[in-house]
Amino acid sequence: MRTQSKLYFYLTISAVLLVIIAVLSLNTGVYDFGGNSAFKVLWQFIKGDPNLSLSDKYVVWDVRAARIIMAILIGSMLSVSGTSLQGLFKNPLATGDLIGLTSGATLLAAIAIVLGGHFKEYLPEAVQFSLVGISAFIGSFLSMMLVYRISTSGGKTNVVMMLLTGVAITAIGFSITGFLIYISKDEQLRDLTFWNLGSLAAATWTKNIILGVVLIIAYIILLPKGKAFNAMMLGEKDAQHLGINVERLKKQIIIIVALMVGTCVAFSGTIGFVGLIVPYILRLLFKSNYAFILPLSALCGSILLLTADTFSRSIVAPSELPIGILTALMGGPIFIAILVKFKKAL
Amino acid sequence: MIKAHQINYKHKDFHILDGVDVSLEYGEFLAIVGPNGAGKSSLLSVLADEVRTGKQKVLFKDKPISEWNVKELSKHKAKFSQHNSNDIPLEVKDVVMMGRYPYFDSQPGKEDLEAMNNMMYETDVFHLKDREYNTLSGGEKQRVHLSRVMAQLQNEIAHTLMFLDEPLNNLDIKHQYKALDIIKKFTQKANSAIVVLHDLNLAAQFADKILLMKSGRVSAYGTPQEVFTAENISDAYNFPCTICEHPITNNPMIIFG
Repeated sequence: MRTQSKLYFYLTISAVLLVIIAVLSLNTGVYDFGGNSAFKVLWQFIKGDPNLSLSDKYVVWDVRAARIIMAILIGSMLSVSGTSLQGLFKNPLATGDLIGLTSGATLLAAIAIVLGGHFKEYLPEAVQFSLVGISAFIGSFLSMMLVYRISTSGGKTNVVMMLLTGVAITAIGFSITGFLIYISKDEQLRDLTFWNLGSLAAATWTKNIILGVVLIIAYIILLPKGKAFNAMMLGEKDAQHLGINVERLKKQIIIIVALMVGTCVAFSGTIGFVGLIVPYILRLLFKSNYAFILPLSALCGSILLLTADTFSRSIVAPSELPIGILTALMGGPIFIAILVKFKKAL
Repeated sequence: MIKAHQINYKHKDFHILDGVDVSLEYGEFLAIVGPNGAGKSSLLSVLADEVRTGKQKVLFKDKPISEWNVKELSKHKAKFSQHNSNDIPLEVKDVVMMGRYPYFDSQPGKEDLEAMNNMMYETDVFHLKDREYNTLSGGEKQRVHLSRVMAQLQNEIAHTLMFLDEPLNNLDIKHQYKALDIIKKFTQKANSAIVVLHDLNLAAQFADKILLMKSGRVSAYGTPQEVFTAENISDAYNFPCTICEHPITNNPMIIFG
């Protein structure tokens, strides 16, 4: 089938591009491997070469490779969560950061960081370690429910209500986070600043494994839903007539998106606009055909975030630019472009 | 095919539907007619299981429609809605292909493409297949959706049912006849159709049975000859009319005024 092979063609191209960027990114950085290239060191590490120095191994595997994988996982999930939200709300402006999911997640994560110490000892051990992550998930889930309840009735979304609810949640989150910063201790303060700016610098392989598990679960459920997302454009009743269980689909999207956004926020803080930029570009190429843009956004989100992160850690090296600055720089104009295009509809 | 007994549907204290009985045989073309606000669309929604009315049950193929599996049901019945979405940023062929969604998982098969192409030909939208849906005129959009709904019921299942809510809106005269022809042909293959229509003369010419509604009740039901009498129509629409015989088809012809 022609359109199907077209999809595989674009998926292959994106995957190849992603690998190339990952390779370039691995070789980018200030650390000097004694004249060797980073790949050679990585190869030595994979082979288990005993001559490999500990610091070489640490830089290549625990710093660069971990960070690259984290950028790939988080970029992908942020972008797919944006695309899914846009399918749910039937609007290209719906993304986790604009409708307040990220703020909700950040807020509860901040509460967990600052106040968590006081009640941590009463919680079971497994919960203690993942307290921030679970709080972030609950935060994004509650925000999601709030936005959906307020802005959608009878299957129709009021876009203005959707965005304004996001603004309100962000404002509440901002003020409470500000208060928490005011009362927090030094060490907590550093954590909070990290959350607010967003960074991939704290990447570790443990985090990557958790992210990977969340990603696989989410994608098994979400990625085959391209047809269902398309049918939703007809309206919920007509989608139901096409054999789609609309209520179940909406619940799945809400829970999975909250899970993805919550996990991303817990590990990398607020990295904005990825979920807006990637679907916007894909829509220019494939209209709103979710059978295309849903799987492609999974790969293109990785490409975008990995590129942005490689730039952010190399243009002012040895220092580092917060990655949110770069994504916002790209996302802002796109936000305006969408607004202009939808001026009448809003 | 479908049976419903004493449907009541209330919005607050206002009875939208009040004790409506509907029963449809295989191969029947039923036209629902009546003045604005008579409850035609609401009746169609109840029959198509879009709204549930509480105790009353709609039996579809002798089984309550709410107990059908959603996916399985979508191969047995389809609905053409009155208010189609205006904002679907897809190409026309992608919209028509949605009608085949119940039949394939990730990629459409040969039958799906055939059904899509055939129905685009039938409804005269084949030349628009690569256009963006949003740039079409109102009538063209209607035809795209008719094409989609028809494609949904192209299958091996005997006796399928189509609900159509004012399918002729915005269509020019040629396409009005074409659309009714398509529906008629569909019912001649032992399938059934329930169609909300405004044009009584077209209803008289194409439908096997007529259900005339007024203020949420059935005011007359039967063949066109039985229902379309001067008294029935003047009473339902509160407007004078004369009935004469269609010179070619011998069906009743209604002249208002």
